[in-house]
Amino acid sequence: MRKHLLISLFHGVVLTLLSSFAFSIQAGSPEQIIRNNCVGCHIPESDDKLSRISYQRRTPEGWEMTIARMQLMHHVRISDQEIPISDEIIQKLVKYFADRQGLAPSESANYRYILERRLNVVEQHPDAEFAVMCARCHSGARVALQRRTEQEWRHLVHFHLGQFPTSEYSAGGRDRNWFEVALNNTVPYLAKHYPLKTQAWTEWQKVKKPQLEGSWRLIGNQPGKGDFQGVMTAIETEKDNYKLSVSGYYANGDSLTGEGSAIVYTGYEWRSTLTLDTQVFNQVMAANGHGDEMSGRMFLRDHEETGIQLSATKMDGKSRVLGVMPNHIKAGTEQTLRLVGTALAGDIVLAKGLMITDTVSRDSENILLKVKAAKDLAVGNTDIKVGNSRLMNGLVVYDQVSHLEVEPSYAVARVGDNGGATRKTLASFQAVGYSAGVDGKPGTEDDLRIGYLPAQWSVRAFNAQAEKDQDVHFAGKMNKNTGIFTPAAAGPNPKRKYSTNNAGNLAVIATVQQGDKSVTGTGQLLVTVQRWNNPPIR
Amino acid sequence: MKHLKPLNKKAEHLERAVEENQIEEVVGMQNVAGCTATTDPGWEVDMFGSVAGLCQPMEADLYGCADPCWWPAQVPDLMNTYPDWDKNAPSAGSDWRKLDTVFPKESK
Repeated sequence: MRKHLLISLFHGVVLTLLSSFAFSIQAGSPEQIIRNNCVGCHIPESDDKLSRISYQRRTPEGWEMTIARMQLMHHVRISDQEIPISDEIIQKLVKYFADRQGLAPSESANYRYILERRLNVVEQHPDAEFAVMCARCHSGARVALQRRTEQEWRHLVHFHLGQFPTSEYSAGGRDRNWFEVALNNTVPYLAKHYPLKTQAWTEWQKVKKPQLEGSWRLIGNQPGKGDFQGVMTAIETEKDNYKLSVSGYYANGDSLTGEGSAIVYTGYEWRSTLTLDTQVFNQVMAANGHGDEMSGRMFLRDHEETGIQLSATKMDGKSRVLGVMPNHIKAGTEQTLRLVGTALAGDIVLAKGLMITDTVSRDSENILLKVKAAKDLAVGNTDIKVGNSRLMNGLVVYDQVSHLEVEPSYAVARVGDNGGATRKTLASFQAVGYSAGVDGKPGTEDDLRIGYLPAQWSVRAFNAQAEKDQDVHFAGKMNKNTGIFTPAAAGPNPKRKYSTNNAGNLAVIATVQQGDKSVTGTGQLLVTVQRWNNPPIR
Repeated sequence: MKHLKPLNKKAEHLERAVEENQIEEVVGMQNVAGCTATTDPGWEVDMFGSVAGLCQPMEADLYGCADPCWWPAQVPDLMNTYPDWDKNAPSAGSDWRKLDTVFPKESK
């Protein structure tokens, strides 16, 4: 009897709170979806707060993963239909939470790589214990892109131990009293560095968010394809939703044209899906506070590793020189250069010793020039001026390529396809040329970064083990002209020892010809196995 | 150590690392974002930053590792999160093509 009374009392409290939460809820609104589907577990509290949910902040991708986890682990279904949550509802909820409980631009700034799917970034963790406790299974960025109260970080530790008990006895866990360290050291560390309440978030909530409708000048670079430029037009269809059209060109003349749509989360997180020619691309960009610049990456939805590092500048009538393609010229040569900008008008002024021999074409966004560089021209960065707009250090003058660096210097490709569910993960490399600078010695402080240079590409065994295992033969093929490595097929390979996978440890060699001398640079490529769990934040 | 001989490849690597005084270096967590280098061995990268020390072919021991959720960030764990992942693939060695990716598709 007493138990029943307690339950009735509890229900009464919950119902009262529910009615308070239900205040001004519209049918089909995120509030109603939450009320109908979430409050069974997440208890309404005062000030319209819900247990657990209200004490965390994260990125749009983070909220998407949370909703996925609720479906997967707690079997959340749409209450009256018992069906999985539709994309439309997920999107509504992600928007709702990311807008109210997102990260300020400064809070996500250091970890854009994981959102942009730049998965060859080698993370450097300032705290060794954080690295072992949090970042030995997934990226550190996955943690650093969340904000929680200390209690919520504690809940996360308990969740990890309950859901993934190996955390405690796998390597990196069993060599310490994992649970004690997690609760006593890691939780306070996370609460201190990634707290729920921050000045940055308080201030960002007060800021008037920029309007992103308009035309945008795109400029970027795609490994394996080269420089890219174009125009994207965004028309707002409803608040924070945009209809897009893109017309872009690679430096080799290939075009990339099509349409799509974008949503802006948290006032600056630009996410779009575009069908350009026959391929589907996603954009992940961050807008600046003025709403006149965005930067990030545009990548193939089905091959996230392939994409363009992109910046977008509002075509608002202001004259700007945004870039030069290519961004370098060799002393004593003549070269065609494309100046990319917005509202370009007026005289073109290049550094002394750079002579414009022909203006091939010119409009307000593109100027195509033939430029001759004097033979004795000093090596260094030079400015470019068009009318009143100046691009500082936009064009590099060099004499010789002294050495090359391969970017990324350490990359991962993954076997795939062959009838399996996972696609191959390609690896794309670029060769960065350097001039030795005034002292003539490569590897010193005055080295001058020339930029990306066309190179010839090859691979070889990285070490004796890779040689012995014939990794070069089995792991895949390097395109000698583009620097794009296509890994071999997934699955055991009966032709290899123990039928091992087509994994391999390869050195990646870039070669640039300098007269009759060749300059080379080396990187490392691990061709490894596929992964079946590919959330937006790895 | 002089009375102990390494029996397998991983032990050989470890012995070499000890000889070359690389122990601190190999536990350093500087790996490609989202890759697992530890958990005996890592899923995609071994603790020496290579692939020779991985369990391969990984299909041979896949369920032995997915069962106790050994690499839950990369491989669906059968213990708690994805108990039915291997339902239609009784032998990973011959049925690996039937194993699906698990994360729901992105909505935007």
